[in-house]
Amino acid sequence: MPGFDVQQFRQQFAFFQQQPNWVYLDNAATMHKPHAVLDAVTAFYQQHNSNVHRGAHQLSQQATVLFEQARSNIAGYLNAAHPHEVIFTSGATAALNQIAFGLMHTLLKPGDRILLTQLEHHANIVPWQLHCQRFGVIIDVVPLTADHGIDLVAYKKLLALGPKAVSFSHISNVLGHIQPVAQMVALAKAAGAVTVIDGAQGIVYQQPDMQQLDCDFYVFSGHKLYGPTGIGVLYGKTLWLDRLTPIFAGGEMIDTVSFVNTTFNKLPFRLEAGTPNIAGAIGLSAAISWLQKYNTNQVQQHKSLLLKEFYNGLAAIKAIDILSMPVHNAGIVALNVRGEHPSDVAELLNQQQVAVRSGQHCAMPLFSYLAQQGAVRCSFAAYNTLDDVNRCLLALEQAVEILTA
Amino acid sequence: MTLEQLLAETQPALLQIKQQDLADITAAKDWQSKYRVLMQLGKKLPPVPEKMKQPHLLVKGCESRAWLMHYHDKAQDKHFFVLDSEARIVKGLMAIMLCLVNGMTSAELAKFDLCHKFDQLNLKPYLSQSRGNGLTAMAERIKACCPAK
Repeated sequence: MPGFDVQQFRQQFAFFQQQPNWVYLDNAATMHKPHAVLDAVTAFYQQHNSNVHRGAHQLSQQATVLFEQARSNIAGYLNAAHPHEVIFTSGATAALNQIAFGLMHTLLKPGDRILLTQLEHHANIVPWQLHCQRFGVIIDVVPLTADHGIDLVAYKKLLALGPKAVSFSHISNVLGHIQPVAQMVALAKAAGAVTVIDGAQGIVYQQPDMQQLDCDFYVFSGHKLYGPTGIGVLYGKTLWLDRLTPIFAGGEMIDTVSFVNTTFNKLPFRLEAGTPNIAGAIGLSAAISWLQKYNTNQVQQHKSLLLKEFYNGLAAIKAIDILSMPVHNAGIVALNVRGEHPSDVAELLNQQQVAVRSGQHCAMPLFSYLAQQGAVRCSFAAYNTLDDVNRCLLALEQAVEILTA
Repeated sequence: MTLEQLLAETQPALLQIKQQDLADITAAKDWQSKYRVLMQLGKKLPPVPEKMKQPHLLVKGCESRAWLMHYHDKAQDKHFFVLDSEARIVKGLMAIMLCLVNGMTSAELAKFDLCHKFDQLNLKPYLSQSRGNGLTAMAERIKACCPAK
């Protein structure tokens, strides 16, 4: 099999032709979209645009077929047991909100415990907090080890407290560290907890196999996987999706309505109130089909090479503190210039057309744990090149020079 | 340290920025020189002591934290401000903002158009940047200190 050709891959992104001078290393925030995705979205609007599921005409039926094909395609990619286990949401945040809200009362009763980790994104903290406070559910937090990984010893101890649900990220959005999710799911299941995985970053790293991983929920956003914004997936086992109370109501999710009572439609519709993001679902499905043309291992090898070069280059720049470990890293490097605020570093990179993110990356509890005011985050994607790495390193050197002059 | 003492140290720095540094910034031949000057500006302002950085002085909407203190000389109806920021570039830009508004009367402050002024100094791009740098939030906070009629 021929190796991964980054130039051929990169050429499929119109963005880089439009913005040839930018080095884009903000991929953990959102990724660019290949022609395959843009074309699928445009084609839907130009050729098939109609509402789904309820039209009396053939156009609606065609749109429904396309929409449901997208669901099946994504379910296949995830190796879900059934297409209805893929619920379309507006993104990972919406999916986590639905799970946190939906499990209250049905699973979680006052006095119950749930378990999160210290490095979660706010989207995997605040929805739980909001509903746990109202329902009297207690949140425990798994601490980190010295190298900023999840402390599995502490995890086991906290599982012994008997949490009803455990929710953690597949990959840290700040540090890029790949968590031992298979082990964490197995341990949680042995302790009798429902397992939720925030796959917002994890979905880019690998094709997760739901039946093998055996988690109860896995959520992600389309726009971090070459897909459109405003579409995401809430995967759940049928058993658990059936137990979620819908967070939104109205439209297709309803079976019968009277002012005394409402009965809900079956899955997946009962969790998809209102007109869904049809074009978004089709675009995400197109992204997944397109991505499957490439060998995951080769893509990862390419990203590993970029990461290795980046770490080598960073070692040669003075006064750089690196928060991310190079091992078990999916392609995200959080760093600081010693004594400088990350926003100054990011602004000096911005002046050199290197796009990164600075701040606390929606993970304030992690930063208070690390005792850092924030970090500059460089996140790599498969379309990044060694030239991108070198330009970022040069820009960092220049930033350090200006800051320490 | 009192607010009056901080103000006494801030005023000469602002005067120097207004009379000298602003011209250096507009004359900067490349972005590097411009940023070097900008970062020097922040250093000219006396740092607000940690003890005085009370939570209610924090200006929300900044990626880096910034604090604003206000003093209204009621006898002469003049407004004075002292500020600090964790980030040096932002502090430099805020120092420019301060040198433009400090000493203004309520009427002048109410009329003051920061956007227009920054445009004249070729600094407008920094205002339009996303919520990141917090300059807009700082400008709004300064304006909000103006007593309502």
